[in-house]
Amino acid sequence: MSEPRKIGVFICHCGGNISDYVDVEAVRATVEQEPDVALARTTMFACSDASQQEMIEAIHKEGLDGMVVASCSPKLHLYTFRGVADRAELNPYRYVQANVREQCSWSHREDRAGATQKATAIVRAGIAKAAASESLENFRVETLPAVLVIGAGVAGMRAAISLADLGLAVHLIERAEHPGGNLRTFGATFPNNRSGSELIQTLLEEIQQRETITLYTGAEVIERSGSAGTFRVTVRLSNAETITVPVGAVIVATGFDSYTPAEGEYGYGLPGVVTLPEFRRILDESNADGQSSAGPITVGGRPIKTIAYIYCVGSREAEDENRTYCSRYCCTATVHTALLVNARDPSVNQYHLYRDMRTYGKYELLFEQASRQGSVFVRWDPDQPPEVRGGGKRLLVSAADVLDGGDRMEIPVDLTVLVTGMVPSANEALVDTLKLPLGKTGFLNEIHTKLRPVETVINGVMIAGAAQGPKTISESVASSLAAVTKSAGLLLKGYVDLEPFVARVDAARCTGCDECLTACPYEALQKITIDGRDVVQAIPSLCKGGGACVPSCPEEAIDLMGYTNQQITSMIDAFAREVEYA
Amino acid sequence: MTGVVNPNLHREVAAYGAGNVDLCMNCGHCTAVCSISPELGTAFPRRIIHLLQVGREEALTQTVEPWLCYYCGDCSESCPRDARPSDTMMAARRWLTARYDWTRLAGIFYRFGWVQIAAILLVALVVMAAFAIYHGPVVTSHVALNTFAPVAGVELVDRIAAGILAFLLISNAIRMAWSFMGGSQMLKVPVRIYAQQVPQFISHYFTQRRWRRCSTAPSRKRWMAHLLLFSGYVSMQILVELLLGWFQTDTVYPFYYPQRLWGYYAAATLLYGTGYFLVSRWRKLKPMHQTSEVSDWLFVGLIFLVALTGILVHIFRLSGLPLATYITYAIHLAIAASLIAIFVPFGKWSHLLYRPLALYLTAVKQAAAAALAEQPDLAPAEEPAVPDGDVPDGDKPDAIPVIAVATEEV
Repeated sequence: MSEPRKIGVFICHCGGNISDYVDVEAVRATVEQEPDVALARTTMFACSDASQQEMIEAIHKEGLDGMVVASCSPKLHLYTFRGVADRAELNPYRYVQANVREQCSWSHREDRAGATQKATAIVRAGIAKAAASESLENFRVETLPAVLVIGAGVAGMRAAISLADLGLAVHLIERAEHPGGNLRTFGATFPNNRSGSELIQTLLEEIQQRETITLYTGAEVIERSGSAGTFRVTVRLSNAETITVPVGAVIVATGFDSYTPAEGEYGYGLPGVVTLPEFRRILDESNADGQSSAGPITVGGRPIKTIAYIYCVGSREAEDENRTYCSRYCCTATVHTALLVNARDPSVNQYHLYRDMRTYGKYELLFEQASRQGSVFVRWDPDQPPEVRGGGKRLLVSAADVLDGGDRMEIPVDLTVLVTGMVPSANEALVDTLKLPLGKTGFLNEIHTKLRPVETVINGVMIAGAAQGPKTISESVASSLAAVTKSAGLLLKGYVDLEPFVARVDAARCTGCDECLTACPYEALQKITIDGRDVVQAIPSLCKGGGACVPSCPEEAIDLMGYTNQQITSMIDAFAREVEYA
Repeated sequence: MTGVVNPNLHREVAAYGAGNVDLCMNCGHCTAVCSISPELGTAFPRRIIHLLQVGREEALTQTVEPWLCYYCGDCSESCPRDARPSDTMMAARRWLTARYDWTRLAGIFYRFGWVQIAAILLVALVVMAAFAIYHGPVVTSHVALNTFAPVAGVELVDRIAAGILAFLLISNAIRMAWSFMGGSQMLKVPVRIYAQQVPQFISHYFTQRRWRRCSTAPSRKRWMAHLLLFSGYVSMQILVELLLGWFQTDTVYPFYYPQRLWGYYAAATLLYGTGYFLVSRWRKLKPMHQTSEVSDWLFVGLIFLVALTGILVHIFRLSGLPLATYITYAIHLAIAASLIAIFVPFGKWSHLLYRPLALYLTAVKQAAAAALAEQPDLAPAEEPAVPDGDVPDGDKPDAIPVIAVATEEV
């Protein structure tokens, strides 16, 4: 840096959240001495309108060329203060936020002197970063008004219809021969007994009425290139032909598989032991066979008079097993099934061996109804799971009853229904092709559970429905419509602005050694030839600013804009300097 | 310690007038307000309802917990689902009464009110017929009741009937005690402890003092009314069973003579007590009065009629109306006979024995457990014997009582 910068520093009291534990005035007085600082102030609430206005005036009056606000986490107000800089015609990427609340005052409440020292170092590092900052501009990428929806279950089909209604072209691809997913042949669904197959039929009719939706069945994604707004996805169709569709966004709605118990797990494999989906199929089919909807239920020729449902099979397992999660839908689905059974034959005794009843929200009403109809609920503890024994014409289910001090009882039953949860659908190839992020449970992962629930770390790729984790039909559709909204938000403007935090390769220093090409998980680097030399170039629209390439380069030819080597080393230097109060 | 469940149990007990067992979600509000649960250390009454829902027939047969309940109704008032636990406890007592009764008549009478009414009428008719055939000379010049119905004869029949009914009731009570104390795998409780706890039986029998710990103020009032009724009933029973020759005389003694005063006391308290309960059941202001089975009305109603006809006999005799006296006397005895014949071994009367017996046996078990805890060398017990309920199946050869389990484990 040839001449000193003119950086403005604003240190926030946060109404006491910071100033109660950090001597903000001492911090201000110390950092004011920094050579690049033109102005240092404290403020009660930096984020208040008045304070923001003061900053804008200061930027103009002092001709500031950099700004640091020492306040809360950038997760909260980074964009607020970038906006302040922008309004004051200061390049927003010359703004740096120094987190002295979450990372300082809140964590060091018992040590005012230490907290003040640490806050000073954090602000100095921010100043150092701002001093080495340069003006950057967003990248603007034109977007394609088309979306690829993967998976034609209830979530994917519902998404396709809404996307079409927003004026976006839709390519809806389904791996199976028929659209509909898990609901395609399903009978009554909770809470209103609407048949699953009817739901799918209704959606299918809606889809057929929309010319802008193209449905491919028996099709699979085999390749993807491009980036948000301009993807090119190659699909292999049922006739083995491949097509490439240009789309602006991708919605992955690949659903779930039902857990299949291991042989012998709770007696699975014995005659009379079935999973909940299997039992539902039996109920649905015996209805379809022309059996009246009232009357005795038979399974394999055996009349069913007593049923035991064992909950949480393959769900909420111990930490060292695969499926530690709750599948959320199964409690309600089982209670609803009990209502269907009762409607068919009220004399059937139904034992629900549960761990915790999670018929949340208004589904509680179904639980109460089943209870009123005589369903018996017996709670068990994972340390003493129920056991199922065969023998003779009936099964014997033994359960340790938590509500009776763990006393074991034997229930003679005609049918044992294993309430199996949801597991991620087998999608390794797709996950690999799209580089989809997986969570610990093997379901697709969103960026932020609460704040960005349908977006993935791959820009332009959304997730919807039970592909993300166990969901009811309503929840699946809600998330699919959220994914529609995010896709439309991305595509309907016609362009997308990407943040400029991307890699930049100094062609002069690059030797074309390829180290960085293998380090990048996003294929955002490519080889080009300049003046007869093979060098690497970064593709801004693909780069996520991950920074994996930077340390991989033996020549230090790569810099991440906004986080340059110079910025980071000067921050470290600033941290390392002894703090002497002014 | 496994028991095979009977999935239809809750339907069976519902025939005895249970509260709405299906509505119960086992939240435990009832247990929280009940004064019995902390004393027992069990989740009474929630656990009883749960056993019923689940169908734990054996466990339910082996518990006497429902007998410890005096039906104060606090649990029903606190129930968020309106499942009426107090009514379920009442039904459990009826069901248990039927279980204890080896003649199986109790179950039939409880479940079919019309059969019970028919049985009552039958007994009454037999008594009336016996009077019609076997009565003594009818003196019409003055009231000569002891000529119409000689005291010695009435007393003899009284005692024979009392003997038969006592045999039935006591044999049922033994069945109750047998299953509660572990059946064929009887808990080994020293005779000393049985003897030490006898005062418990006597005090509970005569005062129903446990009732006073039930929380609500109206419960106290009911306790008083019940105690008066009880004292009147016991007075009447002593007068007619033991002292009939002294009580039923042709000589009209001055009113301050003890047999007359005692008789008036019995009549007044019987009328007040039965009147109180009949009116309460009619007005249904409290949970325990809201549901009345046929047997409830019959039991209280018949006692009321016995007292009423007894008073009429007395009035007619004082008024010098021989025929009215004789006929009313026959009716009085017919009602009294049907009351005790149906209700002592097969009905609600049995609570006079079952409830204090349950309290006594519970005290015995608790004392035995305490003794065991103090002297672990005698019969080492890892876990103190649970006072109730967890006693294993008496009928199953593989079932082992609590104390024996502990012994084997060591």
